[in-house]
Amino acid sequence: MALSGTVLKTSSIFRRRLFQPHITGPVSLHVRTVYERDYRRPGQAPDTRWPWQKIRFDFSKGVDGVKKHFGLLKAEFMERWTGPEGRPLVVHMLEQTRVLWEFRGPESLNQWVVTSDREIGGRSEAYVKLGRNNSTCMLYGSLCSAPPRDGETRYSGYCTMRSKQPRASFDRKKHFDWSSFNTLYLRIRGDGRPWMVNVSAETYFSHQRDDMYSYFLYTRGGPYWQDVKIPFSKFFLSSRGRVQDDQHPLWLDKVNTIGFTLGDKADGPFQLEIDFIAVCNDRAHTEEFAYELYKRNPEV
Amino acid sequence: MAMRPFSLQKRCHFIMKASRFLLQIHHTGCISSTVIPGVNRLDTQLCYGHVPRWLHCSSAFCKSKSDSTDLQEIIEHEIEKKTKSLVTHDELFERAARDAKSKANFNRVLDTFNKKDIRRRGHVEFIYAALKKMPEFGVERDITVYNKLLDVFPKEVFVPRNFIQRMFNHYPRQQECGVQVLEQMENYGIMPNMETKVLLVQIFGEKSHPMRKYQRIMYWFPKFKNLNPFPVPHELPQDPVDLSRFSLTRIANDLDAKITVYQLPSTHITEAGEEISHPHIVGIQSPEQRTLLAKHNPSRPVFVEGPFPLWLRKTCVHYYLLRADPIPPEEQIEEELEPELIGPEQSLFYPQCIDLDLKRDLGDDDSFDVDDVVEGAVYAMCMTGQGDQATLAQWISGLQENNPILGQVPTVFRLDSGFRELQKVEDIHHDSEQNQHSGAEEEHIIEEEVLHSQGMKR
Repeated sequence: MALSGTVLKTSSIFRRRLFQPHITGPVSLHVRTVYERDYRRPGQAPDTRWPWQKIRFDFSKGVDGVKKHFGLLKAEFMERWTGPEGRPLVVHMLEQTRVLWEFRGPESLNQWVVTSDREIGGRSEAYVKLGRNNSTCMLYGSLCSAPPRDGETRYSGYCTMRSKQPRASFDRKKHFDWSSFNTLYLRIRGDGRPWMVNVSAETYFSHQRDDMYSYFLYTRGGPYWQDVKIPFSKFFLSSRGRVQDDQHPLWLDKVNTIGFTLGDKADGPFQLEIDFIAVCNDRAHTEEFAYELYKRNPEV
Repeated sequence: MAMRPFSLQKRCHFIMKASRFLLQIHHTGCISSTVIPGVNRLDTQLCYGHVPRWLHCSSAFCKSKSDSTDLQEIIEHEIEKKTKSLVTHDELFERAARDAKSKANFNRVLDTFNKKDIRRRGHVEFIYAALKKMPEFGVERDITVYNKLLDVFPKEVFVPRNFIQRMFNHYPRQQECGVQVLEQMENYGIMPNMETKVLLVQIFGEKSHPMRKYQRIMYWFPKFKNLNPFPVPHELPQDPVDLSRFSLTRIANDLDAKITVYQLPSTHITEAGEEISHPHIVGIQSPEQRTLLAKHNPSRPVFVEGPFPLWLRKTCVHYYLLRADPIPPEEQIEEELEPELIGPEQSLFYPQCIDLDLKRDLGDDDSFDVDDVVEGAVYAMCMTGQGDQATLAQWISGLQENNPILGQVPTVFRLDSGFRELQKVEDIHHDSEQNQHSGAEEEHIIEEEVLHSQGMKR
C-alpha cells in the first residue's frame, strides 16, 4: 500500500514537472505554415507570433491597396482590347525577341531584390544602383566568404540579385511565358568574375519550391559591353545548391523569377553592370536539352 | 596504366582474406591477449617473425612497417594516448607545421597517424582535422594528397556484406566523412582519378554514398570543365609585365590591338641615397581606337579614368582608361560612305556595298527594342604598378608618339580611390599621402585638374 502510494506520488511529481511549463508559461505554439520561406538561422528564436499579429491593419495601407489592385484589375481588362498581354496581335505573333527588363530609370530597380549572405550571418555586402548615365543597372558590393561562426553553417559568401515574382491584381501570381523563345540574351559588363544565372519556374508540388535552373555567366571584364546568349536548353536543375541527379528541361511557360548569383570565393569588391535582359528565338539552336535524360548506367 | 590499380585491388583482396584467417587463429590461440595493453600486444606479434597484414592496413602502408624507429614512435604515441583530449589531431598538424608547412610535412603527419594505431582509431576525426588543415599546408589542390587521405580509412570494414546492411546506412559517420573528402575536392575543382575510385570501392563498397558522390563528380565535372570562354590559368604569370599583358589582351578583345610596354619596372638609387622605383606601364591600343582618337574634337577634353578592377580567378588587377565623354547629338557628324563604294566604278556583279533589306520574312526581326546606352569611346587602356598621376601622365606622353592629336587635346585625370583595400602596399602608402592633401573622402573623385597638355606632359 505504502509502496503504491509512493509510486503514485512520484508519478504525480513527474506529471507536474512535465506539464508545468505548459500550464504556467505562455502558450508557445510554433506556427510554421507550408508557405513559410524564411531561413531561420541556427540559434535564432522561432517566431512565435500569431499569424494575425504579423499583419499590419492600417487604414492608409488599405486605401493604397484598393487603389493599386483595382488599378491593376482595370488595366487587365483594358489590355485585352489591344491584344494579348496588351500588345497588338501582329506584334504578338511575329515577335522573335522580347526585352524583359531594361534599366532606364530609378523605378526599374524596384522589380529586383538584392540579397547577400548577411541573412545567414555572413559578411558580404551587395547593393544596386543605376549606372553613370542612369540607363544601366549597377550591381556592386563586396564578397566575403568567411562562414558565420554559428557552428552549423559551413559555407558562405554569396551575393544575389533576383527579380520579384510578377503579380496580377489582388496578389494573384503571374508568370512569364517564354515558350516561344529558346535563348536568354543579356548585355552585361562585368569585372571578370563568373556569375550564375538562375531561373526558377512554377512547380506543381510545394516541396519543389527550391528548384532552380542554373547556368554560368562568364564575364570578360574591361570597359566594353558583352552580349551573352544562353540557350535555355543548357540550364540544369538544382535544388538547394545541389545539382540534381535526374535532370529535366526547363519549362518556359511558367517562369517565376530570374536571378544572378555570385559565389566564386574570391574575397573582394565586385561589380556587374546590366544593360538589358531579353529573350530571343535563335533559329539556329535546335537542342532541346543538353544533359542526358535516359537512364544511365551506373545510375547516379 | 589503367590495369595496375585493378590488379592491386585484387591482390589486396587476396591478402586480406588470408589475414582475416590469421586473425581468427590468433584469437582462438590466446583470448587473454585482449587484456594486454597495446604495446605488449604489438611485441607479441613481432615475435611471429613477420608482421601479418592486418585488416585495417592498405597494401601501400604494409611495406614500410617493420622499422625499429617506427616502433619507437608507436610506443611513444601509445604513451601519449593516455592523456586523452579532443584536440590531439589538430596538435599533430601544428607540431608538423612548426618547421615548414609543406606537402612533405602533411604526408608525414598522415604516415604518423597510420603507424600510430593499427586499428586507425579515431580516423574520422583525424580526416576532418586534416581536411581543415589542407589549405594551410597548400595541398588543397593536390589529388595525390586526397588519395592518401582516403587511404587512412581502414579497408573492407565498412563494405556492407549482406542485404540488410546494404539497405540501411552502413557506418554512416564514416560514409559522411568520405563524402566530405570528396566534397572538398569538388569545391577546389579537382577531378578524382582511378586511384580514388579504387580506394572508395575498397573502403565503402560499390554502391555507397561516397561512391555515388564520386560518380556524380565524374558526370558533371567533364561537362563544366571547359565552359569558360575566357579561361584563366591556375598559375598566373609572376612577372607584373606579363600579367598586365595577359589581362589587357583579355579585356581588349581585339586581335589587332597592339601592346606597348612604355616602362619596365626598375629601381635605382640617386646620389642622395634615395631609392627611386619606376613602376611598369603597359598599354594597349588597337588601330580602330587610333583612328577614333584622330577624329576626336580637340576642343573637348579626354579623360584618364580608373582604377577599374579586373578579377583573374582570385587575384584582382586594376586598369586605367583613356576615354572621351559621349559626343552630344548636335556635334555628331553623319559618316559618309566612301565614294568608291557607291560610285559608278563599282562592279555590278560584285558590289562592295549593297543597300538592300535582306529580311527573310515578315517577322524575322532579330533586333532588340532597346535604347542604346550612350557612352564615350575608349581610346586606350593601360595597367601600371602605381596609379598616380605622374605615372599616368608618362603613359599619355608615350601614347602621344603614335597619336599626335593628344598634344592638342586637354587631358583630365579622374582617378578615384575606391578600391584602396586591394592595392599593394606602396599604393596604399601613396593613397594616404594623397588623402592628406584632399581630405579623407572616399568614393569621390579626388583629383580633377585640367592640365593643358603641353604643361604636364613634357
